[in-house]
Amino acid sequence: MKRRLALWICLLLVWSLLPMLWQLISSFSTAESLVNGSIPFLQRWTLVHYKELLASDPPFWRYLLNSAIVSALTTVITLALAIPAAYGLARVPLQLRRVLRWITVAAALFPYVLLFLALLELARRFSLGNSLIALAMPYSGLAMPLALLLLTSVFESLPRELEDAARLEGLGLWQRLRWVLVPLLAPATASTAILVFLFAWNEYPIALTWLSRDELLTLPVAMARIAGSSIYSIPYGAYAAATVLGSIPLLLLVLICQRQIVSGLTNGAIKG
Amino acid sequence: MLHLNGLGKRFGEQWILRDLNMQVDEGECVALLGTSGCGKSTALRLIAGLDRQDEGSIELDGEPLDSIPAERRRIAMVFQSYALFPHLSVRENLNLGLKIRGVSPAQRQQRIETVLDTVRLREMADRRPQQLSGGQRQRVALARALLRDPRVYLLDEPMSNLDAQLRDDLRPELRQLILQGTQPVLYVTHDQQEAMALANRIAVLKDGRIEQIGTPEELYKTPASQFVASFIGRPQINLLPVDKQLTIGIRPEDVGFDPEGMPCRLISREWQGASQLLLLDSPRGALRMLCAGDLSLSEPLHVSWLTSAEHRFDAGSGHRLAE
Amino acid sequence: MNLLLLLPALLMIGLVFVWPMIRYGWLSFHANSVLTGLNPVPNGGANWIRLLDDQRFWQDALQTTRFAGVSVGLELLLALAIALLLDQRWRGRGVVRALALLPWALPTTMMALGWRWIFNTPYGPLERLNEFVGLGPLNLLSTPMWTWLVTVVADVWKTTPFIALLLLAGLQTIPKDLYSAFRLEGGRPIQALRCITLPLLMPYVLIALLFRGAQAFGVFDLIQVLTGGGPAGSTESVALYAYLNAMRFLDFGYSATAMLAGFLLLTSAMLILAMLLRLSGLMKPVQP
Repeated sequence: MKRRLALWICLLLVWSLLPMLWQLISSFSTAESLVNGSIPFLQRWTLVHYKELLASDPPFWRYLLNSAIVSALTTVITLALAIPAAYGLARVPLQLRRVLRWITVAAALFPYVLLFLALLELARRFSLGNSLIALAMPYSGLAMPLALLLLTSVFESLPRELEDAARLEGLGLWQRLRWVLVPLLAPATASTAILVFLFAWNEYPIALTWLSRDELLTLPVAMARIAGSSIYSIPYGAYAAATVLGSIPLLLLVLICQRQIVSGLTNGAIKG
Repeated sequence: MLHLNGLGKRFGEQWILRDLNMQVDEGECVALLGTSGCGKSTALRLIAGLDRQDEGSIELDGEPLDSIPAERRRIAMVFQSYALFPHLSVRENLNLGLKIRGVSPAQRQQRIETVLDTVRLREMADRRPQQLSGGQRQRVALARALLRDPRVYLLDEPMSNLDAQLRDDLRPELRQLILQGTQPVLYVTHDQQEAMALANRIAVLKDGRIEQIGTPEELYKTPASQFVASFIGRPQINLLPVDKQLTIGIRPEDVGFDPEGMPCRLISREWQGASQLLLLDSPRGALRMLCAGDLSLSEPLHVSWLTSAEHRFDAGSGHRLAE
Repeated sequence: MNLLLLLPALLMIGLVFVWPMIRYGWLSFHANSVLTGLNPVPNGGANWIRLLDDQRFWQDALQTTRFAGVSVGLELLLALAIALLLDQRWRGRGVVRALALLPWALPTTMMALGWRWIFNTPYGPLERLNEFVGLGPLNLLSTPMWTWLVTVVADVWKTTPFIALLLLAGLQTIPKDLYSAFRLEGGRPIQALRCITLPLLMPYVLIALLFRGAQAFGVFDLIQVLTGGGPAGSTESVALYAYLNAMRFLDFGYSATAMLAGFLLLTSAMLILAMLLRLSGLMKPVQP
């Protein structure tokens, strides 16, 4: 019984990690050894892909920085709007709440790639292209339904008496949010923030159409652009190195915050 | 002095509180007694300003409260769940309201220390609420109410989450801390014993309306209806139908042994130490009777009571009939 | 007051989700391409007539649906297995859960690139393995059948962890007492799976099905980077086709029409699915 369990766990890990492991190995392999299996083991390894990546123009870390800027900004804007909204949503009359909830769920389900054209038009009309700050606007809108769903369910689960007690203590609306509700929601807010951040970090079609200047690309677009850059010989070593470098921030995020991510996803599922 | 004038609240078409007229004097404690859903907690929420009444008005010392938001009414409420902020320590829980209300840090510190001594929680001051026992949490809630320096105290089932033993222990404490002040106190409970023990007057609520209001003694001795009669006094009063018009009520403690009385069969008995409760099968129906604990019983039992101890109710409406 | 707090968020949702649909509705009755100098010119229902006749669109719609159906089906099965595994008590469960979650957290385009290398002919690891077997080159990314399978595998790999977590959350709401009681009734573990676990898990399966179904129908990142829709358009999705219409053929009117059509197809598919589920009684929430 124990042995069979261990076997399944190993299988799960192999399935999840092997593709990434292959990238890791490839990223340290010389271009020659990638296409030639007969090169002796000790002569296969190199750091050249990483060096190239960091020395290219713009250097690879620039994409990471861009993604970090957009994602952080998106997270801040989304939460700043979603927290008061979720508070309001948890307190509007039931009938209206049901309607709004349906709209939110529908929006959260929506395959947002279908929105890119209209959003691109907006970007052109208002000259929002090629600006990381502007890109955070549609991102916040796209992440809003999810954030609302997660946070509303938490607001609804808070005992009403806690807020009542705060009112009787003399706390006004913003004071209640500041001193009682937001601190109480800190764990849920953290998990929402991480999910929003992940969304913005991974978003592709909108970034693809909004950004064209090399030094402004976010990580997903940069990766795709490398893929499209050369048709005949694709620099797989450099790719793999880029994949590894691009994964490191997320790897850390997921490993450190896995508890929040899991609880965020789970809450959304149970109550959403 | 707190005045409630024709207070009413409805959810949709359903009135959950109607025609609540009441006056609570300075230093007086009035208990709102009733089963769950009778509107008693709603009354407190209206007074506190947490909900808005649909009719009637609330006055405190002659000043209408209706347009003042809850934050500024200066009314303290102790909740059934205590509603302590789980992310704050005991001290921070007490500090938050004072800080918001602009009390200076030095004064805050001093008042908190004093109140912590009063409720005997000095050692617990840095713990979070979930690290406290039920009784300790309740004392924190009381301390918070005291620090509010309120014009009215509202207590919403403050002891119903505690076990029976603790409740008995806390009752004197509650009396000393809150009921001896000069503010009006409204105390919501479903426990008639608690209401009898703590309140100067009791208002019995049924379906959102006051059934009867009076001192505990008045309620016990002259219940205005069958409902009040069966709510007040334990063991519960016997209600014996006489005919289509009349039901009489007789308290178990008023029933006595009498060789001339009705012959009864003993169905069961609960021995309570000093007393014992007998459940009898009498010609007029099932009958509860209270007698001394050391009495040995031999069947057949004969029982009777004084006519003057009978409460007479209209069988249709349940109202008390004139003597 | 409460509505006021809601307003900014709702406006944002309206701007990002509702406005595009209105705009597409308008654009779909206009020619707006290089031929009109990228200015909208009303053209009646020409876009829609063209769409009805557009073999490529319907081919893509079919391919996308097939892709979504097969991927989501596989994901559900695999995720159920993983969730059952993670629901047991064993040491290091948290770490494994975090590691298993990784594929979901990585950008799709990044791993799409990775898959291109893994399925590369002749240098990718799969073709290398195949050399030992000696079947000759599989041409994983240039044979329609294989390429389609590759996209499914890549999608399953990425999104299974997400569904597994959903289902795990569902599993953890089932009181363990039920299993004890079932055992005392003489039930075997495999019967417990069928009689207790699956029925109680159904609401979560349905949530996952609806959510992932919609997302998979909108597949774009993966296809665009991994196959570019090829070979010979065999993996092209509706979203990619609409994208190409706008960004490569610069025909915005028709692109909007295609996207609106895709949206309508998806919505009606979801409604029919929801109706079928409701009729079959599966949708009823089961309270454990």
